[in-house]
Amino acid sequence: MDISLYGDDSKALVHFDPRTKLFIFLACGVTSMYTYSGLYILLFTGAVCAVLALSGKPWLALKAFFAFSVALYIKEAVDHTGSSAPAVVLIVSVLTTLILYSLPTILSIVLIVQTTRISQFLSALSAMHLPVNAVIPIAMLFRFIPTVQDEWNGIRKAMAFRGISVNFSSVLRHPWRTIEYVLVPLLFSTIGVMEELAAAALARGMDIDVKRSSYEEVRLHAADYIVMSIFAALASAIVILVSSKGAAGI
Amino acid sequence: MIRFKNVSFHYGGEQGTGEGVDNIDLTIGTGEVVVLCGPSGCGKTTLTRLINGLAPHFYPGELEGEVWVDSLCVSKASLTEISRLVGSVFQNPKSQFFNTDTTGELVFGCENFGLERDEIKRRLDKTVGDMRLDALLGRNIFELSGGEKQQIACGSVYTARPEVFVLDEPSSNLDKKAITRLHETIRRIKESGKTIVISEHRLYYLMDLADRFVYLDDGYIVRSFVPDELKKLPDTELASLGLRCIDLHSLMRNPLIGEIPHGGKPVLETVDLSCNRGSSQILDIDRMSFPANSIIAMIGDNGCGKSTLTESLCGVIPSGGSIAFDGVYLTDKERAKRSFLVMQDVNRQLFSDSVIEEVMLNASVSRERAEQVLDSLGLGEQLDRHPASLSGGQKQRVAIASAVCAGKEILFYDEPTSGLDRGGMERFAAILRRMQDTVTSVIITHDPELILQCCTHILHVENGRILGFYPLNDEGAARMRWYFLSESEESTSKRREKLGMFGKVLQYAGQWKKYTYIAAALMIVGALCSAVPYLGVYTLIDRVLAGEPVNLSAAMPAVVMVLVFGVLYAITYTVGLQFSHSAAYHTLENLRISLQEKLEKQPLGNVQDLGTGAVKKLFGDDIESIELMLAHVIPEGVANLAVPAVILLVLIAVDWQMALLTVILLGFGFSASRQMYTVGMDRMGSYFAASKRLNNTIIEYVDGMEVVRVFNREGESGKHFEESVNGYRDFALAWYKVCWPWMALYGSLFSNVVLYSLPFGALMVVMGYMPLGRYVLALCLSFAIGPMLMRTLALIGAIPQVNFKIQALEKTLDRPPLKCGAAEFEGTDHSVRFKEVRFAYKSDEVLKGISFTAPEGKMTALVGESGSGKSTIARLLSHYYDVSAGEITIGGQSLRDMTLDALNREVAYVSQELFLFNKSILENIRVGNPDASDEEVREAAKRAQCDDFILRLPQGYDTPAGLAGSRLSGGQRQRIAFARVLLKDAPIIVLDEATAFIDPENEQKMNEAIADIISNKTVLVIAHKLSSIVSADKIIVLRKGKIAAEGTHEELLGTSEDYRRLWAASEESRGWVLKGGKNT
Repeated sequence: MDISLYGDDSKALVHFDPRTKLFIFLACGVTSMYTYSGLYILLFTGAVCAVLALSGKPWLALKAFFAFSVALYIKEAVDHTGSSAPAVVLIVSVLTTLILYSLPTILSIVLIVQTTRISQFLSALSAMHLPVNAVIPIAMLFRFIPTVQDEWNGIRKAMAFRGISVNFSSVLRHPWRTIEYVLVPLLFSTIGVMEELAAAALARGMDIDVKRSSYEEVRLHAADYIVMSIFAALASAIVILVSSKGAAGI
Repeated sequence: MIRFKNVSFHYGGEQGTGEGVDNIDLTIGTGEVVVLCGPSGCGKTTLTRLINGLAPHFYPGELEGEVWVDSLCVSKASLTEISRLVGSVFQNPKSQFFNTDTTGELVFGCENFGLERDEIKRRLDKTVGDMRLDALLGRNIFELSGGEKQQIACGSVYTARPEVFVLDEPSSNLDKKAITRLHETIRRIKESGKTIVISEHRLYYLMDLADRFVYLDDGYIVRSFVPDELKKLPDTELASLGLRCIDLHSLMRNPLIGEIPHGGKPVLETVDLSCNRGSSQILDIDRMSFPANSIIAMIGDNGCGKSTLTESLCGVIPSGGSIAFDGVYLTDKERAKRSFLVMQDVNRQLFSDSVIEEVMLNASVSRERAEQVLDSLGLGEQLDRHPASLSGGQKQRVAIASAVCAGKEILFYDEPTSGLDRGGMERFAAILRRMQDTVTSVIITHDPELILQCCTHILHVENGRILGFYPLNDEGAARMRWYFLSESEESTSKRREKLGMFGKVLQYAGQWKKYTYIAAALMIVGALCSAVPYLGVYTLIDRVLAGEPVNLSAAMPAVVMVLVFGVLYAITYTVGLQFSHSAAYHTLENLRISLQEKLEKQPLGNVQDLGTGAVKKLFGDDIESIELMLAHVIPEGVANLAVPAVILLVLIAVDWQMALLTVILLGFGFSASRQMYTVGMDRMGSYFAASKRLNNTIIEYVDGMEVVRVFNREGESGKHFEESVNGYRDFALAWYKVCWPWMALYGSLFSNVVLYSLPFGALMVVMGYMPLGRYVLALCLSFAIGPMLMRTLALIGAIPQVNFKIQALEKTLDRPPLKCGAAEFEGTDHSVRFKEVRFAYKSDEVLKGISFTAPEGKMTALVGESGSGKSTIARLLSHYYDVSAGEITIGGQSLRDMTLDALNREVAYVSQELFLFNKSILENIRVGNPDASDEEVREAAKRAQCDDFILRLPQGYDTPAGLAGSRLSGGQRQRIAFARVLLKDAPIIVLDEATAFIDPENEQKMNEAIADIISNKTVLVIAHKLSSIVSADKIIVLRKGKIAAEGTHEELLGTSEDYRRLWAASEESRGWVLKGGKNT
């Protein structure tokens, strides 16, 4: 599987500020803790998908929204059919509920990761007056995941030559040896890369005390304020509605 | 200014990089370029770390003395302070970028320093301009090659503009073009007055830049050279110092390289190898075979497909075509078992916790044998050490040992000597030579020194194709050296496209894309309409079930509904098909036009290489296959998938349990079809390769039928034909064999959805979970899904084929176009000059450094045996091909700078064959100058001595060429060609064997025509019959692609043995012709 961590906003219609995207993530996190249903959840997810589409991922947004609607539809259909085998009902409704409540949050993470470049992200974080000590680890994390992916690709090829296979049966039969074969080269090569990376970053003034500037313009525009207020309104509406009517209210 | 004041440094902890440095006293002035050199582990890198402060601030250790950069004491200041003053480029390209996008990385330093945005932008623009990084901007760094990453690292430091630049082995991963660019970058930095310190093993590219070479050994500064002193050192002394060569020109082949293996059974053979990554084809290799026990150097620019080729051959990435080891075709897995790749980052391939365990892992060898192998590689002492604690070179040897112990037959190495000093490189070469008897080695390398130390063959890869495969004898060495010496710094980096299959086809549709969308929308409506009648049927059945009588009036609405939607379905579907076909054929038109434009820009030679058969197939069949995709697969497929989805949704509302069952069944069906697609795609390459071979054989068979019959070779030719047919049959059968179980599976699942849901629903009804009416509705809906899915099925099978064809089509035309400029002819006169021109046709180098001048208004003759390169020179002058190296100029202007039109106005090329268009003779002559009037054409014909025989034709000048063609003799056709040239009146004339068809009755006239053509022109004549060029102003004698002698007839008779032989042979045949009285 190829999880691309390369943030590309070249196709975006509206360039949202990373802070807006973080805000959406926050809103998704908050609302997912409440049980609500029907129109509100559709509206909320629709809004997330709209932002995703505007940020240059229209097809992904469309697919996600479609999947979400189908899940919602199935849940409604199951809820409204009276008689059926209880075990099947349980399985289906657990699955759909899981999708319904995790999808917005997942989408907001995708929004941050796939449409924001590291430099934009760093600028936004420092614009939020986060200390350098907090910014660097976050940025490092962004950089670390593709490194592991890259190394793992190479190691898998190396394994093919040595007749080592990592699959379900080998994990079952020799769990420790398999873990060793994966971890030993992975650790040695990633540690090497990360150490050199840290040296390179320091040598180029990564932890300098001056306020970072940014080549990319990172500024909150009108669109950012509009989107943020929409999400604030939606999230607070959901929270208020749920608390006033009780968990099973809507 | 950098000052080391009696500095000693020793690493604390576990820094495995050298032992540190002692008693360093060194002053480097501002603006100076200093190269630190010496064997591995001598302390070069430590010295650079002392300047950029990483030692002792990042790599802790014991430091005595002080290092100053300008007025900053680096050993005391913090890294942040140093980072403003000193910029560093490190050795390992993959671990020195911090962003994932290139632009962000280039400005990273500036952002850290808090520079204004405008200033950053200015600097970025300057960096991009100076270092030619345009092609690399705004890209994902993870998809760049090592060399490209290194360029970005240099660019990033360049943008930050520190006072001191520290480069630690910057060239170790670079190809020769990137080294040229690096050289250029260093020159620019030097010009701007900055101080540069470079630690480096490769010295040759720094000779003209460095002010001083500081030689370290074992942590001490031992000597210091200025470049001239270093240049004077003999190679033996360089070797004893452990320094690499300082001038690539002086590199010689190591005499220890044994005899070059040739013939025999090839150890590796490929036929029609192709490899697709993402949505484009990377490799396109017809045939390739490696002789056994050879050591092959794979060279080529960064990103040309060397790694992809290697991994395809090893079977770790899927590829199309057939690959055989030792004459047996093997699958990917079998090849991975019998080959081995020593990776550049060897850390990835060490799995165990001791050396001896590592080499015995999964290898059926005894411990004695393993120890013996390790001993022979100089690892006898390290048996129980942890591989991670070894040095880079030792790790590499452990990997080699593990491959040898596992009995691998072919070993591949990915840039094994990057970052090795001379001793390390020579030891590595010695290991390869020692192993030559047992294994075949293939080395991806940018290191000419290594190649000349041990390799027996060169495999030159360019843009996924084999540019040449030649033995490394003395001539091969010269050719290889030329590749590394030729000056070129253009970047060929291509952005990797990430387009899905549909996106790829749709991009060709351009403005017609919306028609495809409209078609899809209409067809979705149509498919929906086709589902409605089932609802009508349901209402009727429902009525019956409810016990109501079904009479005509009650049934009427349902019947009408069925009818109306039936008609609607027909209409929307037809209109949809109209739209989709309109889009499809317009797209085909666009595609053929763009293809033709691309073809026109290709070197003529390339087009001829492709062959008429292939071009015809390209324009016809391959493009036609896209029609299927655009007109049917996209709109119909979308509709036929979308509607079942909608029906399923309705079904969920009716009864979600039935829907669930249906979904599960369809899910199985789709996974089966997906499975078929994957296995089918894997074999598709081989299958198409076989079909291509069959096509070519058929063409060859038909074309050659005459020769075959005349020489009675039916048996042989027929056998070849039969082999191809059998091969095609085998591959096709193999393809169907892997596909048919899946086809059968999904076929039965899709078409019989009802079969499974029928009993299930009945059970539900019986148990009282579902009313009967709903059951009937659910069944009706299921019936509606079936036909649509079956229609989709027919299309699914075609998708991999179409996809493959499109990729192949794109690959065929991504050959580099002819290099043409935009300038008109601006030369000072019409003298032709060849400067060190080299030209290779596939694996054969035809011209090997040709230099001569053909003066204006004079006749220059080229003579030599056939195959000596005479005609190639003529074709190069007409710009049929681009030269491999060197330059051709007319009046001082390079051919590459002018447009083809401009060149065509200056040069007229008369070849041995004349092509007559299917028009009248008059029009055929007018081809020479389309603006000429009929009178001028006739005049030219008269001057070319054509008038009399043309008038004898049935309709004179208006005779169609087809009719006249068969009546014209060779000499007459030749004279028509002369007429064209006379009409064109170009100042430079190239006559390629123009007198080949001379016969006594023609001779007089031919000579007159030629005399007329060449008067006052710059003339280049290629002749077999030397008598015709005796009077030439200059005669150039060619032998095997080189100039053997030059001079006038008399001079050459005296000085050149070659010319005397040619002359004698020519005279002899002339005598024979006269006696025989007729032409041969």
